[in-house]
Amino acid sequence: MAEHRKIQLKVNGELREGWTEPRRLLVDFIRDDLALNGTHVGCEHGICGACTVLFNGEAVRSCLMLAVQANGAELLTVEGLAHEGKLHPLQQAFWEHHALQCGFCTPGMLIVALDLLRTTPSPNEEEIRHALSAVLCRCTGYQSIVEAVDAAASRLRPSR
Amino acid sequence: MSESKQPSRDSQRAKLVGARLKRVEDRRLLTGRGSFTDDYRPPGLLHVAFLRAPYAHARIVQIDTKQARAVAGVVAVVTGDELERSVRPMRAVSTTPGYRVTDWPVLAVTKVRYVGEAVAAVVAQTRYVAEDAAELIAIDYEPLGVVFDVEEAAAPESPLVHEAVDSNVLLAREFSHGSAILGLSHKEAVDHNPSRSAGTDATETLTLRDRFRFRRHAAVCIEPRSYIAEFNPAEDSLTLHSTTQCPGVVRTAVAELLGMAEHRVRVISIDVGGGFGAKSSVYPEEVTVCALARMLGRPVKWTGDRREDLMATSQAWDEVIDAELTVKRDGAIVELKAEVLADVGAYSVYPWTAGIEPVQTVSFLPGPYHMPNYWARARAVATCKAPTGPYRGVGRPISTFVMEGLIERAARRLVIDPIEIRLRNYIGIDEFPYKAPTGIVWDLADFAGSLLKVRDLLDYAMWRERQAQARQQGRLIGIGFASLVELTGIGSATSAAPGMPLPAGTEAATVRVDPSGTVTAIFGVAAHGQGLETTLGQIVAEELGVPLEDVRVLWGDTDVAPYGTGSYASRGAVMGGGAAIMASRAVAEKVRRIAAHLLETASPTSIATEPRTVIGDRTEPRVRLKEIAKAAYAGLKRLPKGMEPGLQATCFYDPYYGTASYATHGTVVEIDPDTFRITVLRYVVADDCGRMINPLIVDGQVCGGVAQGLGGALLEEVVYDPSGQLITGSLMDYLVATASDIPRIEVGHLDIPSPTSLGGFRGVGESGTIGAPAAVANAINDALSPLGIELGELPITPLRIFEHLVARNRDGGTQRKSSSG
Amino acid sequence: MKPSPFDYHDPTTIDEALELLRRYGPEAKILAGGQSLIALMNFRLSAPAALIDLNRVAELSYLRQENGTLRFGSMLRQRTIEFSPVVLQRLPLLAEATRLVGHLPTRTRGTIGGSLAHADPAAEYPTVITALDGELVLRGSLGDRVVGAHDFFQGVMSTALGPDEILVEVRLAEAPPNSGCAFEEFSRRHGDFAIVAVAAMVVVDGARYRVARLAAAGVGPTPMRLRAAEEILEREGLSERAINDAATSAAEIVEPAGDLHASADFRRHLTRVLTRRALARATDRARGK
Repeated sequence: MAEHRKIQLKVNGELREGWTEPRRLLVDFIRDDLALNGTHVGCEHGICGACTVLFNGEAVRSCLMLAVQANGAELLTVEGLAHEGKLHPLQQAFWEHHALQCGFCTPGMLIVALDLLRTTPSPNEEEIRHALSAVLCRCTGYQSIVEAVDAAASRLRPSR
Repeated sequence: MSESKQPSRDSQRAKLVGARLKRVEDRRLLTGRGSFTDDYRPPGLLHVAFLRAPYAHARIVQIDTKQARAVAGVVAVVTGDELERSVRPMRAVSTTPGYRVTDWPVLAVTKVRYVGEAVAAVVAQTRYVAEDAAELIAIDYEPLGVVFDVEEAAAPESPLVHEAVDSNVLLAREFSHGSAILGLSHKEAVDHNPSRSAGTDATETLTLRDRFRFRRHAAVCIEPRSYIAEFNPAEDSLTLHSTTQCPGVVRTAVAELLGMAEHRVRVISIDVGGGFGAKSSVYPEEVTVCALARMLGRPVKWTGDRREDLMATSQAWDEVIDAELTVKRDGAIVELKAEVLADVGAYSVYPWTAGIEPVQTVSFLPGPYHMPNYWARARAVATCKAPTGPYRGVGRPISTFVMEGLIERAARRLVIDPIEIRLRNYIGIDEFPYKAPTGIVWDLADFAGSLLKVRDLLDYAMWRERQAQARQQGRLIGIGFASLVELTGIGSATSAAPGMPLPAGTEAATVRVDPSGTVTAIFGVAAHGQGLETTLGQIVAEELGVPLEDVRVLWGDTDVAPYGTGSYASRGAVMGGGAAIMASRAVAEKVRRIAAHLLETASPTSIATEPRTVIGDRTEPRVRLKEIAKAAYAGLKRLPKGMEPGLQATCFYDPYYGTASYATHGTVVEIDPDTFRITVLRYVVADDCGRMINPLIVDGQVCGGVAQGLGGALLEEVVYDPSGQLITGSLMDYLVATASDIPRIEVGHLDIPSPTSLGGFRGVGESGTIGAPAAVANAINDALSPLGIELGELPITPLRIFEHLVARNRDGGTQRKSSSG
Repeated sequence: MKPSPFDYHDPTTIDEALELLRRYGPEAKILAGGQSLIALMNFRLSAPAALIDLNRVAELSYLRQENGTLRFGSMLRQRTIEFSPVVLQRLPLLAEATRLVGHLPTRTRGTIGGSLAHADPAAEYPTVITALDGELVLRGSLGDRVVGAHDFFQGVMSTALGPDEILVEVRLAEAPPNSGCAFEEFSRRHGDFAIVAVAAMVVVDGARYRVARLAAAGVGPTPMRLRAAEEILEREGLSERAINDAATSAAEIVEPAGDLHASADFRRHLTRVLTRRALARATDRARGK
């Protein structure tokens, strides 16, 4: 079935388009067609979370979506976090707290953390750990990531 | 050769070594701009999918690729008999007497030996099409009997995995020391009741026997293996982008196996998403991708998917250990004996050999203790499962699990505190350098110090009180320790793998100052998450007196780096760091002499802490490094007479022996008395990795290693059924710990510089996985001791605890269920 | 692990979807949240000739309150349910169970209908629907029919859905006054499928259980209503003994199979433990009101 469909979507604020077979996974489309390598493929069955992106503002596993399902949608990938060269507070906090080692799961962690903080601006440690359980990390042992998310939460909360 | 052992300290120089600096590599990794292998997309790229064996042991009768080749978008379908004309089989060799050499063809030719072995390669325009075509390849197999159980496989009458040799025991190694009688006294596990007091036994010594079982594990790097090969027929040159930890090793191997000149093979490995040893071996897919690129004249990529990763990336830690520990009534160790059987899977991993793990298990089994008598035998036994290879800690997580498990069992039997029994047996700080029973020389360690530090960090007395109170309420709380010692930064005097002819004992660095004064430092070690770009940069910058951002660290490109074998065995800081120091000092020395010449002073001046300057001896004017560099390259009269122009140095560092890295872990667990869920309440580590280059990175390594060890001990197990089918074929079944499963880990440091390594560094990468399984197992057994059960098998799961209790109740409360059942 | 090729359709109305289903018959699969189906397709364990993607059928996504019943459009996202104040207030058992379904990114796409149609006996939603006697509205070529939870789940991953039918709505009665509920789950890690889970809803009246509803996951080919245990509670009334007796009875009724993660005996044991815990918590909550 070589049927291809045209899709148009917004990615990191920019209008993008492409042609794709319906069976093409969204993560492959993001990497190969949009040349955005920051989103990673780690398992292709929805466990490791390295492929997580924001889809219309909500975190999804892009290995479990078809590219054609993103037609008309707005995506945010890790490349869209920094603004005009300035790191997002989450990225800054990860840097300060050594919340990454090999960096492969990091885009997924950042997006999941972003979704968490938008839905739960003052999460406690248990809530942070439960949310981060959506992404597997083999390097850090998670504690530095938890600390980074907690630090970023303070920075992102509107000050009293 | 190494120079001065003590790092010289210019008090004015900026102290970068030892500073808690943010990492240099993070900016690109945080913004999605890393250079991981799969990110590379050269024009004209083709994609490979492998068809893999569905049987664990079968003869290949016939392969029909006609339908597959007809699929639109398919460029080639290649099988083993085609490839063997131009590619040699991998053959790991060892000088260990009795080692049985076997071949590993990169694509199976006559038979397959494990489920997941690659049998055919489809090359197509996309991976999607390649997988479609792979489904259309028809293979006739003649199934053979599956060699499954490691004890049966070791028996002389077992069917053979490799007919070319006469046994499945690919390697055997024995150690004996003192007056230990060779061989175990008894093979069966002896009835023992943890609550029986020492007083009932009339003899002077107590002998404990137990069977320990460490089940199979997989590294599960979040980044799967990936290889991209490009062949240029006009130059007969090959470029391989690879997820390898060992670019130098891969380059040598690929050249040899493809019959190419080594200098025409280039291996590039920049950002790697975790390695843990599983990416340190040369893989059949790696070689096949190179052969395909050469065959087709087009760039060829294979990226493993997770299904393949779980089936065909090297596994580890699958060992059965029967051990006997004899102690005096006061807990002093008299003798340790052990019989180790390692299930090493179907092939001898290249280049480390099938023996790498079991030999380490018996080499390190005595641990940090006086061991007057020792006997151990390790056998690496082939079976029809995925080949095993190095995995964070290699044999040491197992040896620590056994020794630390035995010493705490002894403590329980003799009613001696587990801290006391260790203090009685540790090698004392005044006994170093100390030659261990297996010939390893420990340079310097404070074992007692590490245990006492853990005791204090943990607040041990408080937890014993809490445990007593909890027991009255029917709660199960346990405390466990593990002390470990390992050899890191191994030099040329010791082989990193048994009898393996690979130059693993040295590493090199090139430090180069450019005409504009910027510094480039290039290494043969490679990075896969441990922050070498930052730590090695800290060393070079400090030695040269420049800010960290003036140093650019390069690695992972064999065309650019001096020869090195890569990053494994916790050698990056010691070996890469040592080479960095040597090369930087050579450059710094030249800088001083040029400066002296430019300033017209008699003696070489010191390099100042101020960035980019060299200060004359208490006088003006200053000379900037930039000007020194210009002088070095421009030549003419700006250099001292007779001095060679240029400003760079390449040095090879060999620590010769290696250095002791050691730690003690302490943990408190609670077990739910109804569901048997295990919760870690507290985890502390006191680690000595010598002089720390960057404490932030050290803590990260320890925490990450502990997490991997804890997950390994409580959640992870590779399971095959008796027909050799992989049951744990996805991440839904092979359970990797998440953020909800790992507790906070508190790390304390001893920081005793190694007296033997240049820079005083010791390795730290593997310490976490080495200690965690032993510590948590000990804590669990301490928690369960009132129930009269003891587990010697990992992973320890609620199910296993339940089954032990059921068996205990069934057998009337006196016999522990054998862990081999 | 790339899926096999398929015809792809993304209808925008239920009628369109039904027409496509009629056309393809068993060769087509419905794509809802995709959290199970696409994973299976990536493994090539499922290779349908056609996918009918319901994600653009807006009329299937709603939550309505009518006469003490909550009506969920089958494509309503689990994430929406998780953050819904109405569900939290009126159907706390569903809210509690939702937080255990995978992780937030799973719930962003996962749907209530998709989870029920997939019918994994270890999943949370089928168990809640079973405990609460939910009703499922199936629409096919012959119109709508309403099927009770007990009749809907027929076997492992097998439901009453006919080859031409789509699950369009799920109906659950709001929690009555003086009720308390609890969802107790034992899984290896947070977010995993249950090894065993027990959903409990009780209505308390003085020293009596006016209503007791119990269902368990992971203990049989479908979620199991634990009627014998419910009867014990309704008969014996509020007491520690009644809860223990009910828990013991639950462990006897269930028919678990053993697998990689747990043996049948262990699942039975967990059934007893989790039933006791769920009942204790549900009862406390009912009395707290």
